[in-house]
Amino acid sequence: MRIPCPYCGARDASEFAYLGDATLTRPDPAAPDAADAFHDYVYLRDNPAGAHSEWWYHSGGCRRWLKVTRDTTSHAIAGAELAGGAK
Amino acid sequence: MTSALDALPVTQMPPDGHYGPAGKHGVTARIFDPPALATLAARHGAGAALSAAARVELGLDLADAPRLSRANGLTAIGTGPGRWFLLAEAPEDLPAHLAALAPHAAITEQTDAMVGFELSGPHVRDLLAKGVTVDLDPSVFPPGAAATSNVAHINTSFWREPGDERFVFLAGRSYAVAFARFLVASGAAFGLELVHRG
Repeated sequence: MRIPCPYCGARDASEFAYLGDATLTRPDPAAPDAADAFHDYVYLRDNPAGAHSEWWYHSGGCRRWLKVTRDTTSHAIAGAELAGGAK
Repeated sequence: MTSALDALPVTQMPPDGHYGPAGKHGVTARIFDPPALATLAARHGAGAALSAAARVELGLDLADAPRLSRANGLTAIGTGPGRWFLLAEAPEDLPAHLAALAPHAAITEQTDAMVGFELSGPHVRDLLAKGVTVDLDPSVFPPGAAATSNVAHINTSFWREPGDERFVFLAGRSYAVAFARFLVASGAAFGLELVHRG
């Protein structure tokens, strides 16, 4: 599997570290239901078959986090962008 | 198959000399200490100001891309968005030389951190094909192109020099022996000349 890094170009997946689901948003720790919200955030994950948005860290290249759209059934990658946008 | 590396401790730099069949001269590897090296990292949102300052103060066109740019004895290698290696051709106080960029970038002296390997010869790409996963064909990796990637499990930054076919690799100093062993193991079949350049 090759991941198209916006800076480095297409690179082998072995250069990257996988973090996981990029669709989640960290809950507000000050909210009254923070404990329940964090339980869901940390433990409850969808396991989609098909297109998925996920974080990959390019540890062997530009050392930037990427948001990658990958099909979990075929590993086909539809796109990748720098987390936080370009600096 | 026996190899010159078998008798050498893995912690010891392979000695200068010829590796492989006598009379074959496929690759020359020169190991050198960069005279002066620093990293440059643009401060948040200061990329454009940094490029402008580099152009005005140093005459250097800092491309925010994995590319080489060179001017007035300075070479910049793009290693990530807003980040570069800066190399000087002669020993000098590089952070002092770059002081004008300090408002726009973090500058870190790294001269002793990396060891350089300059590779040339008719079989240089045959050797590198055994460890580099980046396409080095000139049509996609032309002179001046650079990359940071894992080579034989060792993280390196490298580029193709303008002009004749020549590649320069920078490896962390503590990985220099391992990288040299990769060169010997992969290059001896083509005839490898290993030399240290002062």
